Amino acid sequence: MTSSNGQTYLKTRAAVMSGQLLEAHDIDTLLQTSLPQLEQQYGLQGLSEQRIDEVTQTRLVERGLINTLMNELSILLRPLGGRARESLVYWSRKFELYNLKALIRGKLNNQPYDEIRESLHLLPALISLPHEQLLRTENVPELLRQLEQTAYQGIARQARQVYEEKNESFSLDATIDQRYFTGLVKRARSCEDQDQPAMLKLVGTLVDRQNLPWLLRYRFNYRLSPTETYYLMIGSGRHIPVDLLKQLVNTQDLQQALEVLPSLPGCDLTDKHSIMQVELAMNELLVRECRSCLKFSRSAVARSLAYLMLRELDLKQVFAIIQGRVMKLDDSLIRQAVDRQPEVVHV
Amino acid sequence: MFKPLPMKQLCIQLLSDELPQAALTLAEAGVFSPGDCDEYAESFPEVPGGHYRELYHQASSRLQKIVNHIALKPPSASKTRMVSRTELAETNDWLGEVWERCSAYEEHFRALTDQEHMLQQLEQALDNFAALNINLSLLQGERLFLDLHVGLLPSGNVPQLREAIGLAGYLLFSYLENEGNTHVIILGPKGQRERELAAVLDTAGFHNLEIPVELQDQPERVRHDLKKRREALAAEKQERMSAMLACGDELRDRLENSRDLLIMAEPFVTIEGAVRQKGHLAIICGWAPAREVDQLQSLLSRALENPCQVTASTPPRALHRMVPTCLPVNRLSAPFSTLVKQYGIPRYGEINPTLVFALSFIAMFGTMFGDIGHGAVIMLGAWLGRRTLRSFTPFAMCAGLSASLFGLLYGSVFGYEHLFHALWLPPLSDPLYMLSMALLWGIGFMVVISMLYIHNRLVSGEIYHALFDTNGVVSITLYLSLLAGIYNLYQNGQFGLLPTILGLLCLLSLLSFKLIETHAPPGERMLVATIETFETLTGYISNTLSFLRVAAFSLNHVALAIAVFTLADMMEGTGHWLMVIGGNLFILVLEGAIVTIQALRLEYYEGFSRFFSGDGKEFKPLTLSLEGIK
Repeated sequence: MTSSNGQTYLKTRAAVMSGQLLEAHDIDTLLQTSLPQLEQQYGLQGLSEQRIDEVTQTRLVERGLINTLMNELSILLRPLGGRARESLVYWSRKFELYNLKALIRGKLNNQPYDEIRESLHLLPALISLPHEQLLRTENVPELLRQLEQTAYQGIARQARQVYEEKNESFSLDATIDQRYFTGLVKRARSCEDQDQPAMLKLVGTLVDRQNLPWLLRYRFNYRLSPTETYYLMIGSGRHIPVDLLKQLVNTQDLQQALEVLPSLPGCDLTDKHSIMQVELAMNELLVRECRSCLKFSRSAVARSLAYLMLRELDLKQVFAIIQGRVMKLDDSLIRQAVDRQPEVVHV
Repeated sequence: MFKPLPMKQLCIQLLSDELPQAALTLAEAGVFSPGDCDEYAESFPEVPGGHYRELYHQASSRLQKIVNHIALKPPSASKTRMVSRTELAETNDWLGEVWERCSAYEEHFRALTDQEHMLQQLEQALDNFAALNINLSLLQGERLFLDLHVGLLPSGNVPQLREAIGLAGYLLFSYLENEGNTHVIILGPKGQRERELAAVLDTAGFHNLEIPVELQDQPERVRHDLKKRREALAAEKQERMSAMLACGDELRDRLENSRDLLIMAEPFVTIEGAVRQKGHLAIICGWAPAREVDQLQSLLSRALENPCQVTASTPPRALHRMVPTCLPVNRLSAPFSTLVKQYGIPRYGEINPTLVFALSFIAMFGTMFGDIGHGAVIMLGAWLGRRTLRSFTPFAMCAGLSASLFGLLYGSVFGYEHLFHALWLPPLSDPLYMLSMALLWGIGFMVVISMLYIHNRLVSGEIYHALFDTNGVVSITLYLSLLAGIYNLYQNGQFGLLPTILGLLCLLSLLSFKLIETHAPPGERMLVATIETFETLTGYISNTLSFLRVAAFSLNHVALAIAVFTLADMMEGTGHWLMVIGGNLFILVLEGAIVTIQALRLEYYEGFSRFFSGDGKEFKPLTLSLEGIK
């Protein structure tokens, strides 16, 4: 996007939309709001009146909220073209990757057609895979063959090799994540000069949030070797340098790794005692970076991406509240779910 | 002809077991459109056929995949019969087995293609090594202290892998890059971390390349071996393909039977939303043209073993929006009907615009493109290209005929205007007269369109809109009084009392209606109503003036012909005639296309947008899908 009119329009759009972002007191208000009001507020009217079970209801809520995000994405995409547009569209592909993982997992575990279909998100055609065609495949090799005919060809090829060598979904998930984030960094790098620094800053922080907790998990929960763990990391993090990643993968236990963690600007990791705490701290760092980018960045595309990332985190909080209400969970439990920082999702 | 066919809402009550047969009979009749059964949800709570549908979808998906490998003959109309769930399940299982064979073939074929690709990569790597002055035996076999791998991986993974294996003391050297792959040599100390390396190489998509031992001493032999391997792979691929063809020949008849069986099972699957049941009783809801109901009833009675009850009711006006619109179509009107549907489907009860569209389009095309010769060429072209044009042949024939008739009126044959006397007048002899005729045509068109709008609103029960809305009685009266006033002004210098009073009254009524209809704060309401009233008035004027293009294009046609003849007269002999022929072809193609677009624009924009919303539901009857499984 080169025109200054387009930049101004998009900045205004992002600024207007940022009015929807939730502050701490908004979450408190949402916690007091009844389910029908929440449904109305988020365009899910009448959901609780339908005669459907809790799981289906929750799924519909999730679909509805993702739909809200996708609608906002399509508004932000309107003035964009070229690489800037491609970057935002690529970011949104994470939702289709959830579907891809669900499809592969479902096929690996021989789940029935309806069960897999129910777990898929409905997404705009721009990023959506041919779900019906993929669902009708009868095993993983056939699924991968079909995938090789789509835009996810590269992922499918690598996934096939991982599947053939290891035949399990964890490695597939990790490979898919790694390729997705590497692709995101590549797109941020290819943005025009005026957008590139801000995009790299933002994506770099996102990469840090992905790298650090998953490094600790791969290494100490899944017991992967230092080389394989390091291979699954994504280059171009903003705050965690490559040397630190190397030092961390070479540690022998979690305690030793936690001791190595540094104090980052605005985020002290030295006093963390668990992976969850590290994850929450990295999340806070990301939120702070996104909010700062949304307010001060000179790049309209980076502001839009920052808005979408924050909005996604907010909608996850809303989802947690609605899900709690639908499942008639205790208020304290729902409060606990949202009082902690937004959940980090493994893409 | 002027209205969609009268429809009846049908409720067919029958035994649940006979649902597939009833659906098949309804599909064969081809006059029943499945509707919505929600109003019977309480009395008939179950939706039958869930398992049947799942079997059908799976079987149809399998067949679809199989026909990519085994070509089937197109289905032909033959005797139909009901398909039971057991039979469908058996077919699905058998198709599953066939697909398993096809899938194994696909997978094997893919593996052979991969091997071919790897062989190609190996050849390139060997070419590369052959050019180097190194001892290749060092790259082969097991070593005591050195763990060494030669292979390739996706180029994008190389930097990360280099860093990662560096942690285990390994080094990575790349020596060749092609088709997105990088050829690398990886080496490091033998020992505990070998297994660690193997895992990361798998994750990175590393493929090992076997360096033949003889490469150093007998490169020709290696090349010969590789050639033999390549030939063996090609032969295996050919063998697999032949095997697949033989398999296709063996299974084709049964596959075609299965395809026919799925075609017969499809109607029951398609009517999913129109069927409900309670115990052994079921209902099917939908729509059919009133004239077909008796025939449908007798077909069902004959096809079903047990009695069934068909209740046909006339839909009340309140339900008209839900009734599908069935436009009667014949060979001549089919292309015009298709063009009408491009804009939208009229609601049930509204005027069928096909005839108005067809007549006005043909007339406008002829007026703008009047030439006997050009019209005859269009007709001849349409006749010769009837196989390509298919249902649009009558459309092109009518356009050509109209152009020829107007050519007769204008006295024009391939641009020559002196060959015979015009029955009416050559357009360029009196351009102002042509423009005034076009204006009159436009006024007539607008009046007819407004009448259609008023009729459509009246049949929908929207009396206030018929009277006061844009295009309603008040608007058209305002338009006509304005025209009368302008005519008076032109004739005797005065607007006239009656047009003034009528115009003002209509303007006030229109403004009042807009004020009532607009829901906004008082200031905004006044502003919106005033602008909308003004827009109604200017809309009529601009739309009428738009029709001046009808005359403009008739003049343009003559002007282009004059240009062609001027150029032709500058040459002699063959050049003259080549110019005349080329120029006429140019007029035919370029102006023909422009005139078609302009006529369609007038129809859609000046016509359709004024009187029909196009949001009706098209009548889509249940039919047997003889084109094959969708």
